[in-house]
Amino acid sequence: MARVRLEHVTKRYEDITAVDDVSLDIEDGEFLCLVGPSGCGKSTTMETVAGLTKPSDGTIYIGEHEVTNLAPKDRGVAMVFQNIALFPHMNVFENISFGLRLRTYDDEEIERRVTQATDIVQLEGMLERMPDELSGGQRQRVAIARAIVRNPGVFLMDEPLANLDAKLRVHMRTELQRLHRELQTTVIYVTHDQAEAMTMADRIAVLDAGKLQQVDPPLICYNKPDNLFVAGFIGSPSMNFVEGEVVENGLKTPNFLVEFDPTRVPDVSVGQAVTLGIRPEDVHLAEFTESVTQPTDSIPARTDVIEPMGDEVFVYLLLSEAVEGGMERDPASSPDQLLMSVTSDTEITDDQPIDVVFDGTKVHLFDTETGTALTHGITELGGTDDGATMTEADG
Amino acid sequence: MTGDRNHAEDDGGSATERTGDEAVNRDTTLEKGTEAGAELSATRAADGGTTVGETDDAELRRGFFQQWVADSISNPARVYRSMFYVATIFFLLTTLFPFYWLLMVALTPEGQQQDIILTPNGFNPGAFVEVFEVIPFHWYMFNSFVIATASTIIVLVIASLAGYAFGRLEFPGKVPLLLLVLVISFFPPAAFFIPLNDLFNTPVGILEPITGDGTLYNTPGAMVMPLSAIFMPLAIFILTTFYSQIPEGLEDAARVEGTTRLGALFRVIIPLSAPGVATAGVLTFIAVYNEFFFSFLMTDGQPENWAPILEGILGYQGQYEVMYHLMAAASIIGVIPVAILVIVAQEKIVSGLTAGALKE
Repeated sequence: MARVRLEHVTKRYEDITAVDDVSLDIEDGEFLCLVGPSGCGKSTTMETVAGLTKPSDGTIYIGEHEVTNLAPKDRGVAMVFQNIALFPHMNVFENISFGLRLRTYDDEEIERRVTQATDIVQLEGMLERMPDELSGGQRQRVAIARAIVRNPGVFLMDEPLANLDAKLRVHMRTELQRLHRELQTTVIYVTHDQAEAMTMADRIAVLDAGKLQQVDPPLICYNKPDNLFVAGFIGSPSMNFVEGEVVENGLKTPNFLVEFDPTRVPDVSVGQAVTLGIRPEDVHLAEFTESVTQPTDSIPARTDVIEPMGDEVFVYLLLSEAVEGGMERDPASSPDQLLMSVTSDTEITDDQPIDVVFDGTKVHLFDTETGTALTHGITELGGTDDGATMTEADG
Repeated sequence: MTGDRNHAEDDGGSATERTGDEAVNRDTTLEKGTEAGAELSATRAADGGTTVGETDDAELRRGFFQQWVADSISNPARVYRSMFYVATIFFLLTTLFPFYWLLMVALTPEGQQQDIILTPNGFNPGAFVEVFEVIPFHWYMFNSFVIATASTIIVLVIASLAGYAFGRLEFPGKVPLLLLVLVISFFPPAAFFIPLNDLFNTPVGILEPITGDGTLYNTPGAMVMPLSAIFMPLAIFILTTFYSQIPEGLEDAARVEGTTRLGALFRVIIPLSAPGVATAGVLTFIAVYNEFFFSFLMTDGQPENWAPILEGILGYQGQYEVMYHLMAAASIIGVIPVAILVIVAQEKIVSGLTAGALKE
């Protein structure tokens, strides 16, 4: 049980800065997910906590002690690795008890703890097996048992589910959550999969290019992203972005005008370049406007490709007649396309003209230049105070 | 295809038989020939290939050698098999015959050693006991064993540390340093001998309580140190290759679990590189055990002064007579420990050598 604090941790390699001035305060018993695209420095951040990498600058505290220069073995942390990293020349019992046998525990204590750990991860009766005789999920359980058997203050998990197949991954995800509830240990969990982060974490720390973008509970990250990067990274499929310019009565984009009162939003002035962000599920068909709390004016569009996913249907919309869809179907990349998600009972076909509206309470505005969020919700119900506080710069 | 060819060979057979009533035979032969040709062209056409005219002709007259070559071309496996046997027999003869010869010499009683061709002149197994009676040969063996074992342990420990550094760490000057190790291993041992002999004959104060006169000459140190150094580069190269192949994650896991870097080396990396360690160890042991130059010159040849087997065998050479049968018997006895070692470690050595070669 321990609180983990990172203060201005920086890791520079010869040519790149992997971690750039990251400060984090992780509460005792918290489940924190470090999430970001590949190469964003999340694994390096975790390695500095584990002690496998020494930071170039900054301080790390575990509990009340500064551990910046301590060896990994003296930090009271346990780690689960992406490639599982079981010792192939030891059987399950020897793997789990490896850390205990290095310390001064007597045999009975080791036996008792290993039994307890194998109970928790449901590995009874496999203690004699060698790692190569186990399935992927069982190996992962052994790795977890090896981590929990020492009662560490902090659990570090570096993409522990990345090498498992999709079904097993979902299963292990719930198991890890159950485990966390049972043990109440601080967990730092690295993943590039935002869905994993959303479902498991108490708080998500979003990293990009070595810099911390936002640290907040999952739904805050989802509903009130601090900047364009977080808005685009969290959520699947990702948010639609349309660049535009603020005018007297709203936001003007090449294809449509979203009306709102610019004076109500702080830090927004007429003429400013602003990016509008709207999640696919907040784009609605104009004919069902009554279900939308604060609909904007309807926007004419034409359907392009329909992707039925089962419970919902993704609809790619073309906003301008000039565009023919084509290969560039990432809606975030084009000002003329939008991705809409509707329930599967909606009747819709491809190449059909339709009108859509946005849910005004869910429209996000970002400063195009800095990427900083200006407001989340452009109408009264969205609340003026939402936008005002979200001004933390991303550097 | 084989069936077709047989058919054609049958044709050839009948063609050579036609001596007497040629006309009749020719008719039948032609008939058979055309039959075969038709058959062949049919199958070939089905294959999409062309018909070769030879099937219409009778088989060529061939001598024994030509026939053998033709058979070999049609069935190369026969040639490979015979070449395998030739090579194996040659190899076995050249390696095992000296031992056989040694045994014959050892079994021949003293004074009858002329004209030993393939069988001993007499039968005197007592020579294998006599070797220990004439001189304390077991003492020499013990010395050799101690020197080889000590060198092997030193080489494995130091080469493991070096292999870890070269195989798993990044540091400036790594490649030049590795090349330097390689270059030094090419130096002839004789180049080291004179300075080393001089050094080992110089009394050093701190060694006096250990060696008596303060010099290393006539101690195992005089052989263990230079021999360890000479056979170190090979071990470093073998172990570097093996240690570099152990995944980084395993070492990280061991370190998080509670070992130091060194602890991870001995608890995880070395056990997982067992074939490599065994290979390096056995090669070093054999090389030191067999070494001639330093073993011959770094002691005065007395068993109490740590003279190795080599000096023991030469000890049967007196001023007036040379007891060849005892030298032969002693040589055979001296080989036994190495032979046992190789047989025991054989599996690991083979897998070690190939694993290192394939994975790089």
